[in-house]
Amino acid sequence: MSKPRPLLELASPLPADEAVTLEFDGAPIPARAGEPVSAALLRAGVLATTRSPKYRRPRGPYCLRGECGSCQVRIAGQPNLRACTALARDRLAITPQNRWGPRGLDPTGLIDQVFRGGIDHHHLVVRPRIANAVMQKVARTMTGFGTLPDPATSAAAEARQVVHTPTVLVVGAGAAGRRAARHLEAAGVDVLCVDRRDRATLEVAAPGPLPAELLRAGVFAAYPHEGLWTAASDPLEAPLELHTIHPRAVLLATGARDPLLPLANNDLPGVVSARGLHLLLTRSGSRPAVPVVVIGEGDEAAILGEALGAAAVVGPEEVVEIHGGDAVDGVTLKGGRRIACGLVALAPIPAPTHELAAQAGITLRFDGHGFAATSDERGRAIVDPAMPQPWTLWVAGDLRGYMGPTAAAADGEAVAAALLESLEGAR
Amino acid sequence: MTRRVFVCRCEDVTLDEIDHAIARELTTIEEIKRYTGLGTGPCQGRECMVPLARLLCERGLAEPATVQPFTARPPTEPVTFAALASAQPPYTGAADDDKDPEAAR
Amino acid sequence: MSTSMGSPRAPLPERVDIAIIGGGIMGLGLAHNLAALGQRSVAVIERSYLVSGASGRNGGGLRMQWGDAGNVALMMESIEICRGLAQELGINLWFRQGGYLFVARSEASEARLHRNAELHREVGAPTRLLSPTEAQAIVPHLDPGPIRAATYNPEDGVVFPWPFVWGYAARAIDRGVVVRTHTEIVDLLPEARGFTLVCASGERVSAERVVNATGAWSNQINRRLGIDFPNRPHRHEILSSEPLRPFLDPLVVDLDSGLYFSQSTRGELVTGISLPDVDGYDDDSLALHSSLRFLAVLAARLTALMPITRSLKVLRQWTGPYDVSPDGDAIVGPTPGHPDLIQLCGFTGHGFMMAPAATRLVARWLVRGEAHPMLQRWDPARFKGAPTSRREDMIIG
Ligand SMILES: Cc1cc2nc3c(=O)[nH]c(=O)nc-3n(C[C@H](O)[C@H](O)[C@H](O)COP(=O)(O)OP(=O)(O)OC[C@H]3O[C@@H](n4cnc5c(N)ncnc54)[C@H](O)[C@@H]3O)c2cc1C
Repeated sequence: MSKPRPLLELASPLPADEAVTLEFDGAPIPARAGEPVSAALLRAGVLATTRSPKYRRPRGPYCLRGECGSCQVRIAGQPNLRACTALARDRLAITPQNRWGPRGLDPTGLIDQVFRGGIDHHHLVVRPRIANAVMQKVARTMTGFGTLPDPATSAAAEARQVVHTPTVLVVGAGAAGRRAARHLEAAGVDVLCVDRRDRATLEVAAPGPLPAELLRAGVFAAYPHEGLWTAASDPLEAPLELHTIHPRAVLLATGARDPLLPLANNDLPGVVSARGLHLLLTRSGSRPAVPVVVIGEGDEAAILGEALGAAAVVGPEEVVEIHGGDAVDGVTLKGGRRIACGLVALAPIPAPTHELAAQAGITLRFDGHGFAATSDERGRAIVDPAMPQPWTLWVAGDLRGYMGPTAAAADGEAVAAALLESLEGAR
Repeated sequence: MTRRVFVCRCEDVTLDEIDHAIARELTTIEEIKRYTGLGTGPCQGRECMVPLARLLCERGLAEPATVQPFTARPPTEPVTFAALASAQPPYTGAADDDKDPEAAR
Repeated sequence: MSTSMGSPRAPLPERVDIAIIGGGIMGLGLAHNLAALGQRSVAVIERSYLVSGASGRNGGGLRMQWGDAGNVALMMESIEICRGLAQELGINLWFRQGGYLFVARSEASEARLHRNAELHREVGAPTRLLSPTEAQAIVPHLDPGPIRAATYNPEDGVVFPWPFVWGYAARAIDRGVVVRTHTEIVDLLPEARGFTLVCASGERVSAERVVNATGAWSNQINRRLGIDFPNRPHRHEILSSEPLRPFLDPLVVDLDSGLYFSQSTRGELVTGISLPDVDGYDDDSLALHSSLRFLAVLAARLTALMPITRSLKVLRQWTGPYDVSPDGDAIVGPTPGHPDLIQLCGFTGHGFMMAPAATRLVARWLVRGEAHPMLQRWDPARFKGAPTSRREDMIIG
């Protein structure tokens, strides 16, 4: 195996009091205390940390913002945790997942070569019965990603429930959510703003100051029939917390995330989200150590290209294929031009993060780039009449269709003002 | 690496596999999800839903005005059994929901 | 092999011998078995997509471990069929015989397990009575502390439900059956012989015999004719965890709470629990929403029985409809007053496992008039008389 090539490097030397050491697969890796583990891994040249379930292709981080699953590794004895949201601390133990055989020599990697035409798992070796039984045995041994958590630490994991009864629940502390929460706080409203991202990430993720009452937890469901919303603390925090929230009004500002661009070999390690990469660089004080090619849609692709110091910015329709093996090494364009690179940053038009809105019964509309929450002009959500509504629902920012941080912040302010008015009207 | 265009990286669903499902007359998002496994992995559809919806609209198999994503099932963020086990009744405020299911049998 | 597994565009014939309403495991299993016996004038009409009902939402567990001889015998037959069914249908069913492990924590449950083990020995099912330590040898992460006794049957197992449904559909279509999806039946008009079915699309199909295989929705069809059987829908919730490498072979059932869990082909822990309906948000409307209450009750029982699951994460929760029959027995056979309307419903929480054998015996009865002891037991006319005293006590959920 060749020596790993760093994908990122520090923009300025690390002060001694911020330096910690992670253990990746038993080997030490330097990191900055509190930064996302992914930053440290990419600086150390660690890219592929798992394999895909079917074709067993090497996979590394993609979204870098806690949305997708491809950076999942074992951390501190727990399977399937995202390296991009786990925060570095001294001696944190990280292990790759889903590998077979000796390091670097995973024979299951051949599956991708052998099944060039694809695997139809429904009709693979159905007959004869004996062969089918063998196939199923083999498939079963390869199933699943991580292995069980460490028994002692898992059994001892402490947890507690925290009940909240705010007047307003604001979900998301991005550009729209934070501005809305601040507006409501300033008016003396009891507001709880929840976001799964840590404070340092939020500080660089969007413009504007954060609300005073900010809870770091992932809102994981709306249960209108039970009249509550639920959120969970980061699985690496102790004790684990389950937040049950009973609000009178909910302002959803869950933002937007990157859908995948359907391009050839869009899964190779080193193909990442341009927005996620930019955030990670800012958050961790790093810069690319390899040439970056941005493949993107819309006006923002060029801006992101500039911010990332990209060697080239191209549209998806220009791309023939992304190349590489354990790491991406180039992009071929129509007409045959090939650009060498070490990172491919995808900048699709973001798609609204619609899941919680859907659970709450908000009507969605496909806008060509995602499923946007619908509302009246003041931001009051349009809801399915069959769904119980123990609260009033409001939506702001990119969730209403991607608008970008500046417009989202202004939208957050405007919707919060309308919400405030309705609260005062109800009084 | 074999040249493959992924729509869902979590479950290794390629454009070819979507085509196979469509060839079997499965042309709605819910059907394609189930036949290919698309959207059932760690990201629960965050990455693949939009490319699939776009593809179905481009092919004339869905209408932009009516196409809907598959059901957004909780949880949308990871939550451990330990955290869930800490929840105490009543969950709904309904009179009988603090009943111990074991005692009720 | 046909590439279709049903389609909204499949042409509907004007007349068929047998029309089946509902494209779940029951409707399609029956269509497959009818076609295999040569009865090919059959149309299956499904309101939504295949696997949209209970057959696409269940845990995929199959067991011989029942509390009475008839059910044990039926399930021995079903499991025998499953051994070769993937080959017969030409699709992978991921049938894996990892066994069922029942554990008892109370004296009463322990007594039930003893009674079952005895019965199973008599009818020749390979069920073994185990001590808590023996149970732990099969499932190493169980906390044996509260367990008083267990039974284990190595031939019980799990399947992946979706391909099972598609396989029946594809094979039936191969033999000439019509499977029409995304088409709702909104009315049944009695004719001199049989019925005319009215679709929401306005299309009509006449059939000499109609089979009601709409599961938890079967009341809605029956009520069109003024028939009311005592089966009722019940929301049953279930969840999947993050996928992990294989660590659990059998499906485990905690008899005292109704908690069950198994590890799917994809490595996820698939688990559910008995949960009584709550007034206010459970009703007959068949709204399939999820609840925190389910997650909380399940998590408490699961982590108590398998402490290692505490830091495991839930990936996805969903709900399906049980079609609950008051005595736990299905409702199968001619409808009193409407002999051309055949009921094939009321399978509660165990229709998937019974379907291979049940649909075969129903097809044999419809085509050849062949009798079967279960048909007597499942007779829809039984609700007319005094309620039966027998109630199967190994119903989960
Ligand atoms: C969460 C859960 C877990 C379960 N676990 C297990 C298990 O482990 N093992 C087991 O054996 N069983 C299990 N069951 C039970 C099992 O799933 C059911 O008994 C079985 O699937 C019933 O099949 P069916 O074909 O009767 O009903 P369904 O699969 O519900 O099919 C009925 C079909 O009829 C259609 N329909 C309804 N009305 C109309 C109309 N008017 N016109 C046209 N079509 C209509 C519906 O859309 C539906 O597709 C479980 C059930 C649930 C909900």
